[in-house]
Amino acid sequence: MLSNTAKNGSLVLGRRQFLAGAAAAFLMPVTLTLSSRPAAAATTGVGAYIRIDDANTVTLITGQTEMGQGIGSGLAQIMAEELMLDWAQVRFEHAPVDPANYGLPGWGLQLTGGSTSTMMWYTPLRTASAKAAYRLRAAAALTHGGTPDQWSLVIGGKLKHTTYGEQTFASVLGQIGNTADPATVSFAGTNRIVGQPVRRLDLAGKVDGSAIFGADVMLPGMVFASVVHCPIITGTVKSCPTSASGALAVVNLGNAVGVVETDTWAAMRIASSLQSKVSWSKPSNLKLLDSPTLSKAAQKLQTAAAPANLKSFETAGSPNDKLGQLDVTYKTPFLAHACMEVLNATASVTRTNGVVTFVELWLPTQGQSFVPATVRSVAGLSSLTDAQIKVNSMLCGGGFGRKIEQDYVLQAVKLAVAVGKPVKLTWSRPQDFRNDKYRPCASMRVRMGGDVNGVRAMVYRNISASISFQQGANPEDTGAVAGAVNLPYAIPNKRIEFAPLPTGVPLGYWRSVGESYNTFAVESAIDELALSLGQDPIDYRLRMLTGDARASTLLQTLKSSPNYTGMKAGQRGVAFLRGFNSYLALALEVALDSSSRIKVTKAHYVVDCGVVINPDSVEAQMQGGLVHGIYSALYSRVTFAKGVPSVQNFSNYRVLTPRDMPKVTVDILQGDPTTAAPGGIGEAGVPCVAPAIANAYARLTGKRVRELPFHPGMTMSDD
Amino acid sequence: MGQISFTLNGVATTITVNNMDTPLLWVLRDQLGFTGTKYGCGIEICGACTVLINGEPEKSCDASIGEVAGRSVTTIEGLKNDPLGAKLQEAWMQHQVPQCGYCQSGMLMGAFGRLKAGESRASTASGLSNICQCGTFQRVKEAILSLPGVA
Repeated sequence: MLSNTAKNGSLVLGRRQFLAGAAAAFLMPVTLTLSSRPAAAATTGVGAYIRIDDANTVTLITGQTEMGQGIGSGLAQIMAEELMLDWAQVRFEHAPVDPANYGLPGWGLQLTGGSTSTMMWYTPLRTASAKAAYRLRAAAALTHGGTPDQWSLVIGGKLKHTTYGEQTFASVLGQIGNTADPATVSFAGTNRIVGQPVRRLDLAGKVDGSAIFGADVMLPGMVFASVVHCPIITGTVKSCPTSASGALAVVNLGNAVGVVETDTWAAMRIASSLQSKVSWSKPSNLKLLDSPTLSKAAQKLQTAAAPANLKSFETAGSPNDKLGQLDVTYKTPFLAHACMEVLNATASVTRTNGVVTFVELWLPTQGQSFVPATVRSVAGLSSLTDAQIKVNSMLCGGGFGRKIEQDYVLQAVKLAVAVGKPVKLTWSRPQDFRNDKYRPCASMRVRMGGDVNGVRAMVYRNISASISFQQGANPEDTGAVAGAVNLPYAIPNKRIEFAPLPTGVPLGYWRSVGESYNTFAVESAIDELALSLGQDPIDYRLRMLTGDARASTLLQTLKSSPNYTGMKAGQRGVAFLRGFNSYLALALEVALDSSSRIKVTKAHYVVDCGVVINPDSVEAQMQGGLVHGIYSALYSRVTFAKGVPSVQNFSNYRVLTPRDMPKVTVDILQGDPTTAAPGGIGEAGVPCVAPAIANAYARLTGKRVRELPFHPGMTMSDD
Repeated sequence: MGQISFTLNGVATTITVNNMDTPLLWVLRDQLGFTGTKYGCGIEICGACTVLINGEPEKSCDASIGEVAGRSVTTIEGLKNDPLGAKLQEAWMQHQVPQCGYCQSGMLMGAFGRLKAGESRASTASGLSNICQCGTFQRVKEAILSLPGVA
């Protein structure tokens, strides 16, 4: 488990304590050379992934954020396998901000997103751990005698020699600095821990209340803050009161007003009461912040011959000549992230002669790489070096993409600078909902032609609010078409188009990103065609999947599963995804309740994610993906009326509770650990849910739902 | 400003509070450092702040500290002191229920309150209305239904 755990319900995290903990242990000097890293990073040389302490506890230090997906444990399993550890002696810990060492291999960025953590770290971490295993053997030879080859690892963090007996890792650490990496790396090659449903390392603190999330950080002398933003999204502060009755401080944060108090509740209450007293600068173009207007604009772009910034992907054959069977448009709304832990950040600044010389942060963050620049963007802090900025990455109470963003981090730094004391900023739930970076809304027109053997032609146009277009990075937003390109289906004639829908609504990455809407359109459209041709939905897909053995095996496995055949055929729907380097099929059964609303009654996933690190975590991610998929498909959306978001709290953003949970089963196809690479699972469970529900609903009622959510406007108290 | 006495996880506690209207949730978290009880919505919907007050599951975001005077409060940090609470925590571990874990304190306290009041496992499992955005519901139910020695 994380080392930052509380005793007796509270813990004060001090810098001194942190350093003392680190000094007592030993970092393995493992060199990682990653060809895909930037050259400068590759020469950094000394990795710091594995720490062994005097008690022979072995801690993985990881740049990947634990936010519920089990990544800390999963990566620690990879380490434990190579070092032949007993699972009870294994821990994990979040790394400091240091992208050169802890950044994702392949991206060089220290962030957690895109289901890339296991995908990108599996081989590098396995290699680093295997090197560490060799160096421990070499250190044993130096410490006790013999040669490295005469020493072998024994389960439990020990080394064995025929003459010198069993010795612990801890006993040889004094010589580790005198060892070097092996010329060639050899792997343990067993499945003692990798592939096993070992118990996650972070559970104990999560069942006894001692786990410290960002929101739980306590510091000596800390004050508590909250914020209020403009009621019209993206509005800024023109002027604001400089004080408020009872408040320790009122701070103009530019995009919001911060209130500092002696407890969070008082700060939230005063912040809320200030909203009408602040003079706000409203955003200039409210039309770009208005759902009805955006909807009309999207419709216009769908029918225009050449919308601005139109980009075509994967053009093949002559698709326009072979269309005819299907011409339909699917629509998906803006969505909020709604993490259970609201946005929060704790900041403390140290001044020397009145000048800020050190900034320390305690954050629930998925975006460590971006934090130093955020700090330096604050007035007076631009010259701080990386060494003058320290980030403690805390457990995240859900992330789903929201905690990559830096808005709340920036506010906390500004508050700490303004009040000169450690400040914990906590957004109220309404502020969290109403100032999100929303999942883009999207409109997808799908035109298809085909016969019983499959789709012969497809012209697909996605018009969506584009994250990268909005950020000025790239109008050719490949993320916006994820789930519509690189399909496994053989479609000889096709053209995939994308044009961005200009909007002022702040956008962000939402669990499964482009696939969260494109998979709904693609998997619904294929099903519509299959149904209209009287074809079985699985057989129809299989006829187009002849070139992809993993895809066909997966769907055949689904079709023969008793969990599939046990569902009522007239209430059953199917969807399939190849994405995040994984393959996934979902079948579910729906029923209508007394108010003619859809209920999902059963669900069955078949997953092939290559190498499986922890099957229990794969299953958990499918269960969770189903829940995320159901709430967003059936109930939730965010709309804007001239810049004012519709959502206020969970009261009008319906999500699920235990009573809504259908029975879900998961079959995991085991990949070959010696050849297969691991795929992602954190997001893959979400995209198939909406199309599978729509496909099941069409069979049950004869009606096709092409706009999500199915039941807008429901509240948490509606059954 | 005023003084208030109540029992917290079996311990007699007297504290000075700025405002008697402050919700118990924020006194627990910000003043007493019992951060296991979480803020989720502030309007008694999500259940993340659930504690027991005189044995009843209550949303601590809506119970003012003033109302708690003379009463007995049990938070997640005190759950292990009750044999049934400890069993429930062990079942949560066995079934690997938590993902992010943020809502689990409230989920556990809600389940514990119902079971302690004599509600059946089945009724508790289907009756909980706590929100969990990681979607741990199936395991929540399985963990509750697995409890040995509980009806």
